[in-house]
Amino acid sequence: MPDIIEGPPDADAPRRPLTRRLAWFVVLALAGMAATGVVAYSLRALLGLE
Amino acid sequence: MDFDALLLSRIQFAFTIAFHIIFPSFTIGLASYLAVLEGLWLTTRNETFKTLYLFWVKVFAISFGMGVVSGVVMSYQLGTNWSVFSAVAGPVIGPLFAFEVLAAFFLEASFLGVMLFGWKKVGPGLHFASTVLVAFGTLTSAFWIISANSWMQSPSGFAGTLEEGLVAVNWLQVIFSPTFPERLAHMVLAAYLTTALVVAAASAYRLLRDATEPESAMALKMAIGMLAIVAPLQLLVGDLSGKDVMHHQPAKLAAIEAFWETRTEQAFHIAAWPDREIEGNHWELSIPKLGSLITAGSTEAEVQGLKAFAPEDRPPVFIVFWAFRLMVGLGLAMIALGFWGAWLAWRGRIARSPAFLRACVAMGPAGFVAVISGWIVAEVGRQPYVIYGILRTEDAVSPIGAGSVSASLLAFLVVYAIVFSVGALYILRMLAEGPLAGAHEAPPTQDRPPGWALGAAPENPGEANPREDR
Repeated sequence: MPDIIEGPPDADAPRRPLTRRLAWFVVLALAGMAATGVVAYSLRALLGLE
Repeated sequence: MDFDALLLSRIQFAFTIAFHIIFPSFTIGLASYLAVLEGLWLTTRNETFKTLYLFWVKVFAISFGMGVVSGVVMSYQLGTNWSVFSAVAGPVIGPLFAFEVLAAFFLEASFLGVMLFGWKKVGPGLHFASTVLVAFGTLTSAFWIISANSWMQSPSGFAGTLEEGLVAVNWLQVIFSPTFPERLAHMVLAAYLTTALVVAAASAYRLLRDATEPESAMALKMAIGMLAIVAPLQLLVGDLSGKDVMHHQPAKLAAIEAFWETRTEQAFHIAAWPDREIEGNHWELSIPKLGSLITAGSTEAEVQGLKAFAPEDRPPVFIVFWAFRLMVGLGLAMIALGFWGAWLAWRGRIARSPAFLRACVAMGPAGFVAVISGWIVAEVGRQPYVIYGILRTEDAVSPIGAGSVSASLLAFLVVYAIVFSVGALYILRMLAEGPLAGAHEAPPTQDRPPGWALGAAPENPGEANPREDR
């Protein structure tokens, strides 16, 4: 099973295009923010807040 | 002692915040350490830095998670147990907490995802940017929390009354209250020291088992370098913070030093048994005149004693006096350890001195103990006020029954004991295994996860499993 925490790419691995790397950067950051939002609004719902 | 809602609420907040501060005081320093490790790996391509990064990032992820969970609890307590405080001070202090949450969640949590799951996807440069942003987020978090707490210690830039509620009239004065700069520096340095001590202890533990492990030797050298520079600096910053206390919270200073009389040539009490009942110390081990010199810069300076304040305005002196001595004693031990390690490193023997390595292991928890002691000095020393000179703690508590608070306190005790014991044990086990654990394992022979229900079954039923012949 691969490690959950990802290590760096191999030194000889071909580099992905910059646009694709930037897209992943934005997607992962937004996914982290969205996960935080889901937890926050779940807590609000649990507490019965509007 | 009457266990009413006030006392139980104070015990509950003290318990949860003492637990919580363990994690940020570690992750603030660890995030910066990870940024340094990754930066060094990118510039030198030395695999040692990469191995150390991949090891400590796991510890960081778990500690960060536990820090968030234990921190969220406290924000709810401000509403449930301290609603009067929230109603009175919310318009001033609320935005500071909100900025802390924004920094903690939207900077740290977002880019932590890239840090943990995105190295191959975003490439080394953007990954390094994420690590730096997470480190910046932890420091920003500390900025806002210390800003909020410093305002409670030395409130400024506000108007209004307790009946109408307080409002900010000058946000810069609210954010940068008089004691804030020194307190922020003191806390950030404390966090760096805490991390350095943990890294040193984990590395020393590994070196006691295998003195040739290069990763642990490198981590130990880095940690000791940090300790040798930052521990003496912390002493100076702590002294500046103490001077702030003298100007803005003289009753706290009197409790810290167990001064009862207002006078010049105050003695410095190395140890004493202060007692509020007799308004004095049962016994003292003192150095004449040094108290005035340390606190006010001159033996001839007059320093206020606790008798200058009404009995109901004095903080609990025994706790404050001894918590301060524990913090300073550990700080001096850190300075000694740093200089000892620097001397050994200069002689090229840092990884081969069993006595030093054992001392590093023993000092591993010292940063946490010193941080908690320091916060006890800050918070108990501020009593009987929750906002110094403005709102008394007894007037800030919610109108709730002791039964409700004791039930939630009991729940916290049980849940924390289970969740955080498991988390702490997992981290300790990981630290004991060291950065090379699993690094030399053979690659998996199956491309199916071992936890899969049919993981042990042959891939082609009826045929011999070809992988078994490898």
